[in-house]
Amino acid sequence: MNYDTIIIGGGLAGLVAGITLQERGQRTAIITTGQGALHFSSGSLALLSRDADGNPIEKPLEHIDSLPASHPYSKVGAAKAGEHARAVKALFERAGLSMLGSEDSNHYYMTPVGLFKSTWLSTADSAVSPTPDGSGWGRTAIVGIKGFLDFYPGFIADNLAKNGLKCEVAALTTPELEHLRKNNTEMRAPGIAKIMHGEALERFAKAIVAAAPGAETVIIPAVVGLDGQKDIDALRRFTGKNVICLSTHPISVQGVRMQLALRRYYEKMGGTYLLGDNVTAGYMDGDRLKAIDTANLGHGSLTARNFILATGSFFSRGLVAEPDRIFEPVFGVDVVTEGDRSDWFKENIFEEQPFVRFGVATDNDFRVKKDGKTIGNLYAVGSILGGCNSLKEGSGAGVAAVTAMEVANRLADK
Amino acid sequence: MTDHIKPPKRYDVVVIGAGATGAGTARDCAMRGLKVLLVERLDFTAGATGRNHGLLHSGARYAVTDGESATECIKENMILRRIAAHCVEETGGLFVTLPEDSLDYQKTFVESCLRAGINAEVIDPAEALRLEPAVNPDIIGAVKVPDGAVDPFRLTTANALAARQNGADILTYHEVVDFIRSGNRICGVVLRDHHTGELTRVECDIVVNAAGIWGQRIVEMAGAKINMFPAKGALLIFGHRVNNVVINRCRKPADADILVPGDTISLIGTTSSRIPYDQIDNMTVTPEEVDVLLREGIKIAPSLAYTRILRAYAGVRPLIASDDDPSGRSISRGIVCLDHAVRDGIEGFVTISGGKLMTYRLMAEWAADMVCKKLGIEGKKCMTAEIPLPGSDSSDSKEAHSRKHHIIDMSTDQRAAEGRHGSLSSEIPTGDVDDALVCECEAVSVGEVNFAIDKLHVNNLINLRRRTRMGMGTCQGGLCACRAAAILGDRLNCQQKALYDLASFVNERWKGMKPVAWGQTLVEAQFTSWLYEGMCGLDRYQNNEQGNKQ
Repeated sequence: MNYDTIIIGGGLAGLVAGITLQERGQRTAIITTGQGALHFSSGSLALLSRDADGNPIEKPLEHIDSLPASHPYSKVGAAKAGEHARAVKALFERAGLSMLGSEDSNHYYMTPVGLFKSTWLSTADSAVSPTPDGSGWGRTAIVGIKGFLDFYPGFIADNLAKNGLKCEVAALTTPELEHLRKNNTEMRAPGIAKIMHGEALERFAKAIVAAAPGAETVIIPAVVGLDGQKDIDALRRFTGKNVICLSTHPISVQGVRMQLALRRYYEKMGGTYLLGDNVTAGYMDGDRLKAIDTANLGHGSLTARNFILATGSFFSRGLVAEPDRIFEPVFGVDVVTEGDRSDWFKENIFEEQPFVRFGVATDNDFRVKKDGKTIGNLYAVGSILGGCNSLKEGSGAGVAAVTAMEVANRLADK
Repeated sequence: MTDHIKPPKRYDVVVIGAGATGAGTARDCAMRGLKVLLVERLDFTAGATGRNHGLLHSGARYAVTDGESATECIKENMILRRIAAHCVEETGGLFVTLPEDSLDYQKTFVESCLRAGINAEVIDPAEALRLEPAVNPDIIGAVKVPDGAVDPFRLTTANALAARQNGADILTYHEVVDFIRSGNRICGVVLRDHHTGELTRVECDIVVNAAGIWGQRIVEMAGAKINMFPAKGALLIFGHRVNNVVINRCRKPADADILVPGDTISLIGTTSSRIPYDQIDNMTVTPEEVDVLLREGIKIAPSLAYTRILRAYAGVRPLIASDDDPSGRSISRGIVCLDHAVRDGIEGFVTISGGKLMTYRLMAEWAADMVCKKLGIEGKKCMTAEIPLPGSDSSDSKEAHSRKHHIIDMSTDQRAAEGRHGSLSSEIPTGDVDDALVCECEAVSVGEVNFAIDKLHVNNLINLRRRTRMGMGTCQGGLCACRAAAILGDRLNCQQKALYDLASFVNERWKGMKPVAWGQTLVEAQFTSWLYEGMCGLDRYQNNEQGNKQ
């Protein structure tokens, strides 16, 4: 099978690239081993949240010019990064997800323990606030679910109280939830979200109203809306309240919602999404990648003019660490690291960890290198790139989306 | 859940240090009718007790080099199987000869074992491979010995519970900062509460120093001197149970020659290196130590080469120089029980040290014998070898036995809890919300967490991990720590303290992962960072000093 572009890795970066290319008339395939890291995300995507000193950034685009040259954003440039960010929000909208927020100015979302973090785009049900204190929520109640352990009303209430917002705390249950609770492993966020439709959702809404009759805003765990936003909208309609959802420990319902919506939209645009497959070999023709084999499709089965590597960082196995080396497992392309393994890590997990900056070596067009030579048609996007501490600066999702958009536009223009 | 004592209170004996030896000494003294206070500057098992192989030595390891220790070991081995059944796993052990080692050693080894009373049986290597498929198939010799696995956390907790059942009081996070003296007599201790900073004076007739390697400082505080020689031993924990039988390498004791299964994991160890005394609180594992452990471990069990390593840790053996040789060339590996009245002219002060986890009960017996002798108490026989520990008691185990007959009625989580707490598991609340699962890797329920908070001296997540295994599994706390912290925050009624504690727990887990952070372990570490720093913003709670002030 021949494609214009083959994308390896089906997370946020791979899907943004795939959708953009499909929309612009290319024929593409995404090969992905598993689900992307969105499954583990907070429901909020950050573009650039903190400066080098850890202080919150209000206007992320204004900071891009001050980033080091190795940073993926520096290779894109501030003006284009802004365009891409705007285009990503519009792409989510077309995929059926109305995201809150804008690239011009960061907003805040409340974390599972009741703190506020600066961010770029949040799912429509997220607990967002223009300032880091929950102002504008009015009378607020925190409503947990009996026997559901991934929601921490005590932490949330205490931290909100420190910001001057006193909340009532309550817990609810419904017959459907009671049934689910008989099995411990079902009593997790996606397990609940799977049953939260129709009558079960209506009963859930009634229980919320009964638990917090006087509240204008109700904070619940994110356990509704695995399958798009319609159940969230229904819940708000049924309760007549501003129901906001706090992301939970994985699997994150808000993350799955984003992943599913993007994947469906990609397929609707005619893309081929090969889930559960992985690339086993690549064939070069001079300085260009010509064809690949995959585990499921076998030898010489896939050819393309261009390839995009969007396999993520260590967590997604885009990079692999062994005691004496760090490598890129699909094509063995060059990786930029520092020192030996005693230099990779710092003693305190909250310190800036050097390994987070590691990534594949690329030229200014995001083309990867192997043995020092640029591969002319193999591009890297997303968190396999390195060159920045995405955790400390809060840029993981932004780098994924913006670099994917940049490379996809270049390829579509060709 | 620390016992509240109202000062000034008088005790017969104050025991310093809640490792196995200190808890065992408190139990022994309390069972002999003495009024005991056990004090610990941190948590139970925070020292060497919680940082070893968890090997129920048959004594075979020592048979060639130290016959006396070997004999003590096999006797205590048989006693622990009786009195601490819920802490012991009767796995059996093998001493295998690798192609690179000489078979000549096997003969000396077996003779020495038999002399020490250890049942060592030479078996065919093929039979060894059948008994333990994880062993290197190239072995040229094998000997079967009665090794086993022992859980030092449970063992110490059980001793502490037994002490309390016999009237002892226990204070964790209380450090002895001074002695109360009257002339040349020690007649009490001054304690500092680590949480509040408050000082308390406690009077007593005798102080027993069971502080392990930290005991040198206690002796110095009393005005005498002993020479301890800290020997660091590093170990690796593997992500699943690679072997079901203890595998030893049949050669002169050396680095990384024992692979022990314990609960859900396997452990390879140890290295042995002398460290300066001022480094005893700084137990980081070096890359060289990791490399040695892995290289030698793979020789014993080849599958370790591709088994995930959960974490690395190190402990300090408290070796003591013989009194007649303060240079340290002659080190006693056996039990050292010092009456400082005889040795240094200090009345009311006893030090129990040396020895090993396996002989903790015997050490406690010696210390309690000395206490009784000094107090002039006669006719109080040591009963610790006869009476089972809480969790292994016969009256309750009948119920446990009958429950086993209906094992199909028990959930996996209840069975896991019974494995951990023995007959005490009947006290764990079940039903309704108590059945919800906090830690999926180790099957720890809300009920078990509440039981640990109520009954087992739990103030923080590290305490909880030591009592229940919460956070010890493959996710290393990634998923369960936040759930447990939320329960602790509610129960201890201090949310901010629980959040500081959570950040410090996540960091403590990382410290053990860092030396082996590659492959899946690095994946897990990055995941944990995303969750706790990226998603939750917990980096704002990383300064634990503030946490302690809260």
